[in-house]
Amino acid sequence: MPMNLPGFSALINAWWFLLLVPLIIFYFLKLRRPRLEIPSLALWRQVISDQRVNSPFQKFKRNLLLLLQILLLCSLIFGAMQPYLSSGAEQARYLPVLIDNSASMAALDAPNGKSRLDEAKEKVSKLIDDLLPDQRICLISVSSTARKLTDFTDNKRLLREAVARLEVGQVPSRLEDGLRMAQAMSRVQPIDTVVLISDGNVPSEVDFELPYKLNFQKLGSGGANVGIVDFNARRSRTGWDVFARIEGTKKPEGAEGPPTAKTLCEYELLQNGQPVKQETVSIEGGKAERLVFKVATSIATSLELRIKPDGFDSLASDNVAFLEIPAPRPLAVYCPMGMETYREALATMPDINLYPGAGSEPKAVDLKIAEGPLSTGPDTRVQFNVGFVPEELSNLVELVSGHTEVVDWRRTAPLLQHVQLLDVQIADDPKLSKGVGERDFELAGYEILAQSRSGPLILEKTIDGKLVYQFLFHTDRSSLVYRVGFPIMVQNLIQIAAQRANLLDSKALPTGSLPPQRITPETEIRVSGPHGYTETAKSDKDGFLSGLAAPYVGPYEITGTAEPLKLGASLLSSGETGLVTVEKLHFPEVAVSASTMVLKTDQPLWGWFAIAGLFFLLLEWWYFQKRPAGVPV
Amino acid sequence: MTESSKQFTSLLDNTTLGRVERMRLLPMRRLTNRSRGEHLAGKGGTSTEFNDYRDYSAGDDMRYIDWNIFSRLNRPYVKLYRHEEEMHVVILIDASASMRFAEKFERAKQLAASFAVMGLMNLEKVSLFACQHAGETPQILPPCTGRMSMKRIFSFLENLPPGGDFPIEEAIEAVLKQHRGRGICVLLSDFLTFGAMERPMNQLFSAGLEVFGIQLLCSLELNPELTGDMRFVDSENGMTLDVSSVGDLIGFYHDHLGGLQDHLATLCRQRSGRFVCLDSGLSLDTILTDVLKRKGWVQ
Repeated sequence: MPMNLPGFSALINAWWFLLLVPLIIFYFLKLRRPRLEIPSLALWRQVISDQRVNSPFQKFKRNLLLLLQILLLCSLIFGAMQPYLSSGAEQARYLPVLIDNSASMAALDAPNGKSRLDEAKEKVSKLIDDLLPDQRICLISVSSTARKLTDFTDNKRLLREAVARLEVGQVPSRLEDGLRMAQAMSRVQPIDTVVLISDGNVPSEVDFELPYKLNFQKLGSGGANVGIVDFNARRSRTGWDVFARIEGTKKPEGAEGPPTAKTLCEYELLQNGQPVKQETVSIEGGKAERLVFKVATSIATSLELRIKPDGFDSLASDNVAFLEIPAPRPLAVYCPMGMETYREALATMPDINLYPGAGSEPKAVDLKIAEGPLSTGPDTRVQFNVGFVPEELSNLVELVSGHTEVVDWRRTAPLLQHVQLLDVQIADDPKLSKGVGERDFELAGYEILAQSRSGPLILEKTIDGKLVYQFLFHTDRSSLVYRVGFPIMVQNLIQIAAQRANLLDSKALPTGSLPPQRITPETEIRVSGPHGYTETAKSDKDGFLSGLAAPYVGPYEITGTAEPLKLGASLLSSGETGLVTVEKLHFPEVAVSASTMVLKTDQPLWGWFAIAGLFFLLLEWWYFQKRPAGVPV
Repeated sequence: MTESSKQFTSLLDNTTLGRVERMRLLPMRRLTNRSRGEHLAGKGGTSTEFNDYRDYSAGDDMRYIDWNIFSRLNRPYVKLYRHEEEMHVVILIDASASMRFAEKFERAKQLAASFAVMGLMNLEKVSLFACQHAGETPQILPPCTGRMSMKRIFSFLENLPPGGDFPIEEAIEAVLKQHRGRGICVLLSDFLTFGAMERPMNQLFSAGLEVFGIQLLCSLELNPELTGDMRFVDSENGMTLDVSSVGDLIGFYHDHLGGLQDHLATLCRQRSGRFVCLDSGLSLDTILTDVLKRKGWVQ
C-alpha cells in the first residue's frame, strides 16, 4: 500500500512560521525567573559547569518552556495550514451524495440490529467528518423519487442535521430521479463524481446515461424477511375473490447462497377492521405463497392483510397490505343515439347502463363514445372518439377522403387484443403533414396503436388520469363494423372502462402516491395518513385531484370532500421484500460495480493540531504558573 | 527576676553550660606550647604522672632519684614525669553573610562558646576570631585563660553580627597572621567558597594547629527542594546565576556537595585533623553529646 504524504490546503499560512524568530528572542529577553537568595553560588556554579548538566538532553530540558511555546505555535500554524492526509483518490470539490432511503433500507441485519439506513448514515457522517475546507457536499435522498436534503455546503452542522432527519420512505427504489438531479446540478457546479450509498436493492438496469463517474457504495445486506408482495381482488359471481402473495427470503442456517429455508408465517385477514380469517402458512425461501380468500359483499369494503412471521423479520413495512373493494354497480356508458353500431354492440352486454336512454343522464360516466369534437355529454374516465382529428393534432395529420388499409397495429394493446385488423378497408385516409413523424405524436402525448401507409389510424393518450382512444377514421366508414373484431373491440373497451372504474378487479395501492381522485372542483382537502402524515391540496377547476403523496404504508383518509375517502397504501414490492441486491448497475453504455470498500476521503488533520495546540497551551500555562517548589512565598 | 535574666549567657542555657564545663577537648595530636599548662606533653616534666626511668647523670636533681631501686640495685636511677604543657585553642567563626541563613550562625556561635568553655575549663588559652568582610582584619578576642574569661567570650560572641564576604580560605590566612601558638583550631564555617582550601590547611598544619573542621549547613543547602527555572543570588557578593529545571539538577548538586565534604574531610585527615558536616537544624545538645562525643572530639 503506497504511503500517502500529508498535503496542505492553505500552504500560504506557512509564513506564520516566521513568528518563531520573535518568539525565541522575546523568550530569552523576558524569561521570568523567580529570584532566590542562597548562601553561596559555589556549589551551583560547579553543578552548572558539570559536563553531565550540559549534555544535549539536559540542555533540551532546561528550555522546556520555550519548547512548549514553539510546539504551541507550530501546532497552531500547522492547523492553520489545514493539513490533510491524502487518500490517493481523486478529490472532488463538489460531491453530490445520493442516499437510498427506499423501504429496503429499513431492513435490520439482526434482531435489534442496525438498519441499512443507520449504516448509510454512518458512512455519510464519515464523509462529513472528513470534509476538507474547499469541499462542498450536497445530500440527496433517493427512493421512488429524489429529494434534495441540502444544497452544496461545507456546513457540517447543517449536513449532520439533514442526515439525522433522514427517514426511510416506505416506497420502492428508483434511481433515475436522483441521478438526474445530480446531472442538473452539474450544469451549475463542476461535478466529476457522484456517490451513491445504497443497500443494492435497486433495479439493476437504469435508464440513464451517466455524465459523471458514479461511486456505488454498497452496504451490507439485511437479514431474513417475509412480506406481502401482491394483494388484489377479482370480482366473482358471488362476491370477490381476493388474492395475496407472500414471499420469504430466509436462508438455511449457517449457509450462504439462495434463500431456501422455510418460514412459518401467521396471517390474518380483516374486513372493515374485523378479523375474518386467521391461519398459518409455511413460506419457502425464494418462492411465493399464494393465498386466496373469498369475500362475499355487496357493498364497498376495506380489507387488511397482516402477516406475522415466526422468527426474525428484517423488514416490518411489508407485513401489512390494504385493499379497497368498491361497491358493485353497472357500468355507465354514454353513446350518442347516432352511433347505432356501438349501441347495438353494447346492448348485448350485461351490467351496462347505456345513456342516453337508461334513465336520467348522470354527470359522469365510466365510458363515453363520441364521433365528433363536441364537448357535450357527461364527464368520463375513458373517452372513445371516432371519425375526426383532434384540434391539437390538426397540424400533424389531415383527414382526407380516400381508401386505406391497416398495415400494422399493436396487437398487445388492451383495446386491440384478439382484434384482427388485417384487410379492414377504410374509407377515410388520415395523411401526415409534411415532415411529421411518429416522434411528433409522442411529443404530443399520443401513442400510435394502428397505422396505415400514409399515417396513424388509432391513437391512445392518457391525460390527467383520463384515457382517450382516438380513431382518426370513422368505423362506420370502414369494414371493421362487419368484422368479428368489432364486438371484440367494444368488449375490450368495456373491460378497460370497467377496470378503470374498479368494477372488475381491485388492486391494493402501492406507496408513493395516491391515485388521482375526482371531487368537487376547487375544493381544499386534507389528507391524513400513518405516522402523523398530513397534507392539504386543492382540486383543480375540473375537480381533479392528483399528486397526493403516500410515503408510508397504512390507511389514508381524505377529508374535505362530500364523503371522506378511505384508502390504504401498501409496499407491495417484490424487489423490496426480496432484499435482493445487485452488484452492478447497468447503464445504457457503462456498468458500475458496487464497492463495499470504505469510501476513500482525504482526512483533515487540522483538528488534531488544534487539540495538540490546546494541550500545549494548557501545559505551558500550568508550567508557567507553577511556583517552583521550595521558593518561599 | 525573669527566666532569661537568670541565664548566664543567651548562647547556652545554664544546664547545657554546666554540661559543657565538664567536657574536655580530645585532640588527636599533643600540640602544645612550651609554657606550662594542664596538658600532659612529653617526658621530663614535673607533673605527678610517672613516665619512665633513666640513668642518673651528674647534675640531675637528686629529688627525682628512686631510692628504692637504688637500695636494691645499688645504682641510681632517676624517675621521669610527664611534662604538662599549655595547649592553645583557636576558634574561627565564619561570620560572612552566607552564615546568616537558617540557624547556621546561631549554631556556630553556640559551638564556639562550647569549645571556648571546654578550653577555659581545661586551663587552655582560648582565642576567638570572627571573619566578616574581606580585606578587613578579623575581629579578635585575644587569648584568655581561666573561668573568669568566660564572660568576655560570651559577650564577644553575643555581640557578633553576621554579614560580609570574607572567604574562609582568606580568613584562615588572616587569622594565622595574628595568631602564635600550637594547639587546635576549630573552624566553624559552611566552607562554601570559590577558593582552594589546600593552602590554608597546610598553613594551619605548619602552625602546629590541629584542625577541627565543622561545616554547618542549613536544609536549603543540604536538601534543596527546588524545581523550575530560577535565578539564584549569592548572599555574599550579590552575583546571580540562572538555573533552568533546578529539580533535574538536584542529583548533580548532591553529588557536588558530597564531593566537597569528602574533599574537606580528606584535607583535614591528611593533616591529622578532623572534619564533620552538621545540619544547623540539630540542637546543640545533640551535636555535643551525640555527634561530637561519638566521634571522639570531646569527652
